[in-house]
Amino acid sequence: MIKLKDLNFRLPSGFALDIASLDVGEGEIFAIIGPNGAGKTTLLNILALLEEAKPGALEIAGRNALPPSGRTGLRRSMSYLFSRPYLVNDTVRNNIALPLKFRGERDSGQVAEMLEVFKITYLRDRSATQLSQGERHRVSLARAFVTRPRLVLLDEPFSSLDARVKETIICDLGRITRAAKTTVVLVTQDQEEALALADVLAVIKDGRLLQRGSPQELFSRPVSKEVADFVGVETLLGGEITAKSGNLCSVRVDGNMLEAVSGCAAGDSVLLCVRPEAVSVSRTAQADSMRNHFRGRITSVEPWRLEHRLSIDCGFNLIAAVTKRSLDDLGLKPGDEVFASFKATAAHLIKR
Amino acid sequence: MGFIFDGLLKGFFLLVNGDAEVYSIVRLSLFVSVFATAVSVTIGVPLGSLVAIKKFPFKKIVISLVNTGMGLPPVVVGLAAMLLLSRNGPLGFLGWLYTPTGMVLAQVIIATPVITGLSLSAMQSLDRRFYLQMLTLGAGQWQALWVCLKELKLSILAAVIAGFGSIISEVGAVMIVGGNIRHQTRVLTTATVLETQMGNFDGAIALGLILLGLTFLINMALTFIQQQKARAE
Repeated sequence: MIKLKDLNFRLPSGFALDIASLDVGEGEIFAIIGPNGAGKTTLLNILALLEEAKPGALEIAGRNALPPSGRTGLRRSMSYLFSRPYLVNDTVRNNIALPLKFRGERDSGQVAEMLEVFKITYLRDRSATQLSQGERHRVSLARAFVTRPRLVLLDEPFSSLDARVKETIICDLGRITRAAKTTVVLVTQDQEEALALADVLAVIKDGRLLQRGSPQELFSRPVSKEVADFVGVETLLGGEITAKSGNLCSVRVDGNMLEAVSGCAAGDSVLLCVRPEAVSVSRTAQADSMRNHFRGRITSVEPWRLEHRLSIDCGFNLIAAVTKRSLDDLGLKPGDEVFASFKATAAHLIKR
Repeated sequence: MGFIFDGLLKGFFLLVNGDAEVYSIVRLSLFVSVFATAVSVTIGVPLGSLVAIKKFPFKKIVISLVNTGMGLPPVVVGLAAMLLLSRNGPLGFLGWLYTPTGMVLAQVIIATPVITGLSLSAMQSLDRRFYLQMLTLGAGQWQALWVCLKELKLSILAAVIAGFGSIISEVGAVMIVGGNIRHQTRVLTTATVLETQMGNFDGAIALGLILLGLTFLINMALTFIQQQKARAE
């Protein structure tokens, strides 16, 4: 659906977006994650033809990014939702019908259908000025889908919503786009949002695309420290592979031996990554299939979203995620001695 | 103080008695200024909106020029228009000097920068992403601008009021370009100047009051529309 090649775009501020290649398949939900100022919105603006890419760099639905005179036509095959819903000062129904009006098309039931799909029929005749933030987002989504676009671009569309409203809108959006086989490019800083919707994820930072892959691949096998940092890998340990048997590598980290499954070679200097949720914590030594077991002392306990993060000093610093219930059941607190373990397959190695 | 009261009284009787000359002056004043305002709105609103929305080199210089134009001295505009329209001037072939059309041209030159500047400032007060959102919903450039202008109708109406106000009461440009010819190019402001110069103060006061009354009525009508829209929102 989208092919981007050798994009080199500069903003007047000097910020540069350099992307060698980016493909988004038909019907795919493609999420781009990255910190503030990474270039996510600029990339989306280029895809929406609001910024001018060099000729030939962008292809949408098999058509080259056209000169300015042909842009309106190409834009009419897509919809773009900004983080803030920009509604006109009119009724909900007229807001949703606006894209049809721009195209000179008559409403042959599409508006009523969208009102129903996004569960806002009751708002039909209400003025846009009288809507709550969540309702404005729903109207904005209904408006974006009323022309049944082949491509929808979403720029942090849920950032100003409370968790409950966000959850239901994400759920509805996923259902609708999959049913209509709409290609979606979603830009967000929120990893959970991206995980909930995306078929494919890409990490962007400082105007460069760092990694692209399935959510599973990106979150468990980051290709660099920068990606690992952004996707929430909190244990990052520098070490060296001392031995290898099959794919099982023995890694020396600060005098400790750890095991990881990897394609790296013996002698390689590596960064060992472990996600917090991959680490098990217990009061006593456990006999299980995990290959990495360490005795350590809790140095800190920090609340994090609905869980808690434990820092455990095992001769190296290991971060583990535990639920509030586990924390209470085990009575874990700083200074306690615990046993931490994780699988060799849960440890990912990045060659340095 | 008596002559002021006489002036008020005379103005009232001139209107009530349906003085033909006064009515023709009022008609011409309204025609010239309303027509000039309409032309200025047609040029100024889209121009101001485009300058505000578009990115182009030397944009700040263009905005400075528009802002300077908002304060153009009517006498200077009148002189420039006269030079343009005089027999040997570049637009002399039009034959507009000392005609109501020439007066409209002079007033358009005065009102257009006012309406352009205020439309520009109104459009800049709107988040640019609103305009971009309209484009991404499939609007062409003019469709997107139209939607933005509808969002800004209160400010745009204020620009129209200011543009009309800047020309209905100006005297310098219409005096030079129109020549204050009786039954042809005499308008309320130039007639008031003439009456004053002739020492006919009661006549001048009468015409001045009529001008004031008309300006008030038109502005009241526009303000009424504007405030109705404001309440509706």
